[in-house]
Amino acid sequence: MSRITVVAEKEVRQLFKSRNVMLSALIFVVVFGIFTIPAALGGMGEAGNAMDTLGFYLVLTLGIFMGYLFTAQVFLREKQSGVIETLLCTPLSLRELWSGKVAGVTIPATLLTYFSAALITGTATIFTGETLLPSLPVLFHIIIVVPAFIAATSGLIGFTQFMLGMRENQILNFGIIFGIIFLITFVRELAGPGFSVTWGVVAATGGLALLIILATTWLTRFLSRERIMVTLPE
Amino acid sequence: MEKGEIFGYLGPNGAGKTTTLRVLLGLLSPTSGSATVLDADLVKDDATRNRVGVLMENNGLYDQLTARENLVYYARLYEVIRPADRVTELLEFVGLTGREKDLVGNFSTGMKRKLGIARALLHRPEILFLDEPTSGLDPEAQHMVRELILRLSQAESMTVFLNSHNLDEVQRTCSRVAILHQGRIRALDSVRHLTSAGRKTGFSVTLADPGQAGKAMDILSSLEGIDEVARNENVLGIMLVSVPPHEIVAALVGNGIRVEEARIQKRSLEEIYLDVMRQAEGGVA
Repeated sequence: MSRITVVAEKEVRQLFKSRNVMLSALIFVVVFGIFTIPAALGGMGEAGNAMDTLGFYLVLTLGIFMGYLFTAQVFLREKQSGVIETLLCTPLSLRELWSGKVAGVTIPATLLTYFSAALITGTATIFTGETLLPSLPVLFHIIIVVPAFIAATSGLIGFTQFMLGMRENQILNFGIIFGIIFLITFVRELAGPGFSVTWGVVAATGGLALLIILATTWLTRFLSRERIMVTLPE
Repeated sequence: MEKGEIFGYLGPNGAGKTTTLRVLLGLLSPTSGSATVLDADLVKDDATRNRVGVLMENNGLYDQLTARENLVYYARLYEVIRPADRVTELLEFVGLTGREKDLVGNFSTGMKRKLGIARALLHRPEILFLDEPTSGLDPEAQHMVRELILRLSQAESMTVFLNSHNLDEVQRTCSRVAILHQGRIRALDSVRHLTSAGRKTGFSVTLADPGQAGKAMDILSSLEGIDEVARNENVLGIMLVSVPPHEIVAALVGNGIRVEEARIQKRSLEEIYLDVMRQAEGGVA
């Protein structure tokens, strides 16, 4: 078993044991998955198209938030507690450590996002009184592209959390997360009112996620044990 | 450092002990020169990390995981063969059998330190770096940790680098010490040599009859190789330069002085440490 898998497995296990974090994540999913649907569907015209749009934007946004929430637990907490110093003394390379942590964030965040997608579909069905299922491109988006986006954003946030000190992290993490949400909204606005989720849109979103993953993987070469050590809290 | 030796790295808070450790472990770069452990620069050589065990002040444990889960995690990172067996063996070694399913977050400081030691030993390192291993522990736990360190050195020939400002601990466990002050090593020698083989040897003689003290002082004053003689009732404190202690006893007994007790006075590591600190602060060393 590779060291990446070992790290990922430990992170998943630890996240599922962190009751407060999991409870926050579940509340977030339930609140957004249930309470925003009626209002959202009411203002989106034809129900099938509205369901697709929700499946595209809301699920992606929830996924990114899940990733963001778990990243703080997985990357930042080890720096705060000082456990990272011991980990840096093991034969684990920094890229293995980073990759394992990204996988450890992506797996539970994806599971919760799938749950939120099911919740959104169920709530929308109850609210409209008709069975609303996402179209094939949106289904593909939820199953494949959203996890890739979660991995991309948590990888980028995790990388910055390794690179920066605690105060800078607090500021920058908000910047990153709201920057991504702004980008999604901006693209949505650019597409115009007649916008519908097509295979092209899904492919472009997946491509963007892939680009972020590749760029962050490349950036990890600038990560060093010393960099992490000098950014540990006193 | 010699194989199997316990090397004490002494210094006050802020002297640079932990920084030295981090430089040796490849976590920080030296401002000048280089640092090697087992002939390897750990900054560039991840493979050698498999031969090095580390226990920093933070034990490197996860509170949300059980004792066993913590050890199994590190065992798998070090690619230990049959990790479950090794974990069981080490839990027994540190006396935590029966607590393996408990969350580490519920452990006492001493138990966490024991588990931290077990973690550091998982991959059978050739050299073990310990940073203040008894810090924050009660006397019983401190004793247990010291015993563990001695067992590792004696039974497994493990080399131990012990970072500490606990002078008693260093004197009891280490064979050689370096004393650090403001980032510079001010003394480096074996504990034995530092405490007993200085330029002068302290020697005390207790007389059976205090009335013979004056005569004894006269005899000692006539001998060569004695730097200083002081009297406190029936006890004579003598600072020897070149004369061996048994000749002093022979001279006194030969002149009819009744000697009740004679004792070589070793300097404690604390005295030596304080001397070194004073000299360093005065710019002498």
